[in-house]
Amino acid sequence: MTNPVLENIRRSLGRTVQTPVNLRPDIYEPRVPESVDSEIAHFLDEVKKLSGVGQELSPSDIDSSLKTLVAEQNIRKATVCETPHLRQLGITEILNSLGVELVSPNANKHEMAQCDLGITEADYLLPETGTLVLRSSTEKPRGVSLLPRVHLAIVRPEMLRADMHQVFAESKNDNYLVFITGPSRTADIELTVTLGVHGPKNLYVWMMMGRRTNDAMNVK
Amino acid sequence: MSQDTHPYIGFEEYSGHVPPSIPLAVQQATSRFVGGRAARVAELPQWEQLRQIGSDIRQHTIENMDVYLTRLEERVEAAGGNVHWAETAEDARRIVLQIAKENNVKNVVKSKSMATEEIELNHALEAAGIESLETDLGEYIIQLAGTGPSHIIVPAVHLNKEEIAELFSEKLNINAPTDPIELARIAREVLREKFLDAGMGISGGNFLIAETGTLVMVTNEGNGRMCTTMPDLHVAVVGIDKVVPDWESLTVFLKLLARSATGQKLSTYTQFITGPRRAEGEFGPKEFHLILLDNGRSKILKDPVGRDVLKCIRCGACANVCPVYKNVGGFAYGSFISGPIGAILSPQMLGTQAARELPYASTLCGACADVCPVKIPIPTILRHLRRRVAEGDAFAIPTISTPIRATANLASLALAQNWIYRLGARLLPIINPFFRKNNWLSDMPYPLSRWTKVRPLPPFGARFRKWWNVRSTKETESPR
Repeated sequence: MTNPVLENIRRSLGRTVQTPVNLRPDIYEPRVPESVDSEIAHFLDEVKKLSGVGQELSPSDIDSSLKTLVAEQNIRKATVCETPHLRQLGITEILNSLGVELVSPNANKHEMAQCDLGITEADYLLPETGTLVLRSSTEKPRGVSLLPRVHLAIVRPEMLRADMHQVFAESKNDNYLVFITGPSRTADIELTVTLGVHGPKNLYVWMMMGRRTNDAMNVK
Repeated sequence: MSQDTHPYIGFEEYSGHVPPSIPLAVQQATSRFVGGRAARVAELPQWEQLRQIGSDIRQHTIENMDVYLTRLEERVEAAGGNVHWAETAEDARRIVLQIAKENNVKNVVKSKSMATEEIELNHALEAAGIESLETDLGEYIIQLAGTGPSHIIVPAVHLNKEEIAELFSEKLNINAPTDPIELARIAREVLREKFLDAGMGISGGNFLIAETGTLVMVTNEGNGRMCTTMPDLHVAVVGIDKVVPDWESLTVFLKLLARSATGQKLSTYTQFITGPRRAEGEFGPKEFHLILLDNGRSKILKDPVGRDVLKCIRCGACANVCPVYKNVGGFAYGSFISGPIGAILSPQMLGTQAARELPYASTLCGACADVCPVKIPIPTILRHLRRRVAEGDAFAIPTISTPIRATANLASLALAQNWIYRLGARLLPIINPFFRKNNWLSDMPYPLSRWTKVRPLPPFGARFRKWWNVRSTKETESPR
């Protein structure tokens, strides 16, 4: 089967289907991570620079922190990813006890769009840029980090990766992946930075401390 | 639009009466981006190395484009996506309309895309009775206003908040305040409904990864995520030049792009989409279509000098530093792409006839080449295209008039032939007494007067060869 576009390209380049392709040029060496503590500090610092709220938290503080968040942001409806770790932290129970109505993360988009708060984990974290990397599945649908006006990511140190290279090596065969680097932003009107134009206006990142292992950073 | 039909781009005429608000607004934007970029570059000691690698990989990719596109098509289809090849803008529009028709689509939401601007997709959709809404805030504003973009990153920068409030009040039938944050909130509410109801999302793409058949989209507002997550149908229109070999090489471009464009380390949202969703509950489209757009790109590949324009990753850094762009803004370039990169892309894509003024829309100062993250030699290509414009090419008659070209040809003949040159050097001093005034030749007859009135010539008479011979004899004689 001939494809006119490919034929034109080959003609212009003076190539044929048989012409071998050279190896692509080498790239640089990936970044080497620092100690876990300084990687955590670096990551949270970048989140703050992006106008997000980043903090370390121990599991025993989760009740009071959620209570503060719900009050501060006037949260009435929330949706939570159904991952084992979030279940273990008892997030939905705490929200229930605070009088927040819960919507299934698999609910239809119109219902999801009514949520004030979406709670996710992250699959990977990039310290250099303060980036959350989220994969997609039925347990952690794409809408949770997108539709509600507040996004809370509850993350752990073992999610840290030194650089995009490691993230891609582990996840490039996924059908969907998103890097989230700060809250939704625009400067389209008179260059005034405005948060939350389409995606979440507020981004909270809580680094759960407590379960850290010494070899957390050796994960490749 | 194709080579023959694009309307003439009157850069000079337009730039003669730029509204004063444009350079002011544009320079506010460009100086912010230039400052942001400089800060990011200063943080990264390996920046120059990164640029070199970026340039090498882009060069490699365009020289092997057929191989990577073949691989890309294979992998997209393996992931359950559909690949369509569009030789022309017309083909691309037809394919989009056909997909819309088959799925009975009435409303389309669009995320900002140069490729869909290039093929003027909105007109085609509207003509077919389909509402097509731009959802990037800046694009939404200029769509309401019915104008084109004045800057690649902040397309509505030429409008102030009062004008935007007036526009919103008029078009949305509300009483809009003049506060940028409030205006953004209004747009969020209006567009939120549109995202949820749209039958189809249309996007462009920043990169295509051949290795896995992945579409990469880089956005800040989140409208790109909305367009590719909410509707059941996602159609991406992407130029064939956007292909990259693999994920490893992509890391280089992600590091270069946001830093060069807005001075961010990464843009807020970077999405990696490989085919449609795999499970019902995860959100995302049921169907994914990738339209690979040629529209003259494969023809550009034929020119070994001009083809470097296809290395571009659309960051806009060249425009931000360009003294010409900063004074005329984006409209003057008369096409979907402006600034120095537009000045080298449009003539190659639309033909040196319609866009023949653009290669001259530059001082050749070279600032663009200094900041280009993939090291496109823009001034070299500008000069190359000036030559094509002046001397004509396969698509255009020469723009320089026959007498001038004849004179230039004669001059090059004379300068190349020793004896003619020497004869001329002997004869020219004869005319000195006729035109000499205060030791200058300032009043030559027309048409030479057009030059000499402004820049008088010194009298002819310097006997270079004589002087040289005397000088070299002296030097040989002098003791070492």
